[in-house]
Amino acid sequence: MLEAINEALSQEMERDDRVFILGEDIGLSGGVFKVTDGLLDKFGEERVLDTPLAEGIIIAAAIGSSMMGLRPVPEIQFADFITPAVEQIVQQASKLRYRSAGGYSCPITIRVCCGAGGGSGLYHSQENATWFVHEPGLKVVMPSTAYDAKGMLLAAIRDPDPVIFFEHKSLYRQAKSEVPEGDYTVPIGPAAVRREGRDLTILTYGFMTQKSLDAAEQMAQKGVESEVVEIRTLAPIDKSTILNSVRKTNKALIVHEDKKTMGYGAELAAILSEEAFDDLDGPIMRVTGPDVPAIPFSPNLDKAWQVNTEKIVAGIEKLAAY
Amino acid sequence: MASKTNRAVMEPEVEKNGTPSNELHLNLYKMLVKCRMCDEKARILFRQGKYKGNFYSGVGQEATSVGTAFSLKKDDWIAPSHRDWTSNVIKGVPLKFCFAQLFAKTTSPDRGRSSPAHMGYPELHVITPASSIAGQLNVGTGVALGIKKLRRNDVVVSYFGDGATSFGGFHEALNFAGVHKLPIIYVCQNNLWAESVPLRLQSALTNLSDRAKAYGFPGISLDGNNVLEVYDAAQKAIGRARGGQGPTMLECKTYRWYGHSEIDPAKYRVKEEVEAWKKKDPVAAFEKQLMEKKLLNDAKKKQIADEITQEINEAVEFAEQSPYPDASELADHIWAQ
Repeated sequence: MLEAINEALSQEMERDDRVFILGEDIGLSGGVFKVTDGLLDKFGEERVLDTPLAEGIIIAAAIGSSMMGLRPVPEIQFADFITPAVEQIVQQASKLRYRSAGGYSCPITIRVCCGAGGGSGLYHSQENATWFVHEPGLKVVMPSTAYDAKGMLLAAIRDPDPVIFFEHKSLYRQAKSEVPEGDYTVPIGPAAVRREGRDLTILTYGFMTQKSLDAAEQMAQKGVESEVVEIRTLAPIDKSTILNSVRKTNKALIVHEDKKTMGYGAELAAILSEEAFDDLDGPIMRVTGPDVPAIPFSPNLDKAWQVNTEKIVAGIEKLAAY
Repeated sequence: MASKTNRAVMEPEVEKNGTPSNELHLNLYKMLVKCRMCDEKARILFRQGKYKGNFYSGVGQEATSVGTAFSLKKDDWIAPSHRDWTSNVIKGVPLKFCFAQLFAKTTSPDRGRSSPAHMGYPELHVITPASSIAGQLNVGTGVALGIKKLRRNDVVVSYFGDGATSFGGFHEALNFAGVHKLPIIYVCQNNLWAESVPLRLQSALTNLSDRAKAYGFPGISLDGNNVLEVYDAAQKAIGRARGGQGPTMLECKTYRWYGHSEIDPAKYRVKEEVEAWKKKDPVAAFEKQLMEKKLLNDAKKKQIADEITQEINEAVEFAEQSPYPDASELADHIWAQ
């Protein structure tokens, strides 16, 4: 997935000279995970901007320059450090179009590295995409395949509205799929049915997609066929794909890495309750990260925090029993 | 780049030697009066219950915005704060739209979305401000980055109060602008009070312009009630910005006559302080100067006021007669249609 993102940035910067990238350590070092490696050499300092360590102005610089017609792609090095930029994202970017009744727009794509991986502790592991789902005006996406990562990043940069593009660090090297060399987009919005099944629907996103697919395969051997729906765009949500699947299987298991309380699953459960109540043959259930502030550093605690295939299998078994 | 640097002093309203002409003096005066009269009218309308919400009067501070924004070109940008409703007037926005903004009517530039004083006007590059302190200063800095990247010759004038200089985003913005030598002028309207917090509890500095030194560009403290002093400093700052020499911070020492907003009686200030500053009225002071120079007389003064009164009355009527947005547009303009 890492190469796919690099390729998308590089190709879009070649295609459209309004596109530039900015962030901490993205130029000279090529990024902490080498996502932007080689771009400084290729495009120069004017379009690959190493910024001061100040997330607020990274986003504000992007917002303002997008108002001039540019297409900035700022990077937040770790989702854990997005907090100083929340003011700019929530008060400025998400509301700029609305508060000017369409007079101004804010076509920026904020790339954010997020999620558990490699025992990186409390402040390099958070998956907090849901914070931004609560803010209309923003689009929030999180691809889980290399193919989608390239196609959705290209779609995001060309989108007329602010998009927050979450990249799960564990997928940088794990997610491998065929990625066409040429130009293509994967539209922002539609969810993807990754596995068909008749017995229950797993609604998931990000790093949990592959784990849910693994769990579904394990349970298929026991005769339980799960449908796996990957919600690639968290906001605005693709209700129809989700509802169609649940209306077919009549059961919903929500799986996410983020914490449980007021997480994305809570909203999904509410949507299903409001719009598919008569179709449900069992409780809406959740397998999620625990309500613990963040992922602790010590390996045993880290492991205990994380949602793994076993926990999802247990969730499928429990729901299938209804 | 020298020719670009000198552009500001080759404007038609300024004589070749850089001394403001008589015509410019009169136009600055007219704009001061216009801002004062619009602002006072906005206060009256609020107290009459003609519109809801609140209003943040800039009366007493007019020279800070007139002096800095007066000579801006159409494509230059203004990043206003909540007290700079009249910066739209200076930029040339028709008054009818300014009053429609107060009334939250469909004829306001944002169709009644932003609260009264939070007015922008995209066509003339006035950024629709958020209420967040120093927010407009950060976005304005981003616009300046865009200007530089597109190799345009425009500048950004960003307004903020003394209170905003304590906010972390102030530091991030000015630091970034200094690094990249962005074409922006940071205008601090230091009116000594951030809502009810006095300057002595805001900053240990005597001159807030000292902060600019930390960002590697000039900071100048000015008598913010002297329109010519502000205008002159702004011309130099704008010239620097257009010439690629980077930002300038202008601290305009001034005073707001009234409360933080119309619902604030400002009992935290002593009467003597308010009265002393009212004696330093920027409009009256400049008027006296023009009278002494025989550029203005009572008849001319009355004529100017009458013309503005008529314009305001027409604008208020337009605003009053405009419809409120229909409830059906509540969710318009969240994303691109």
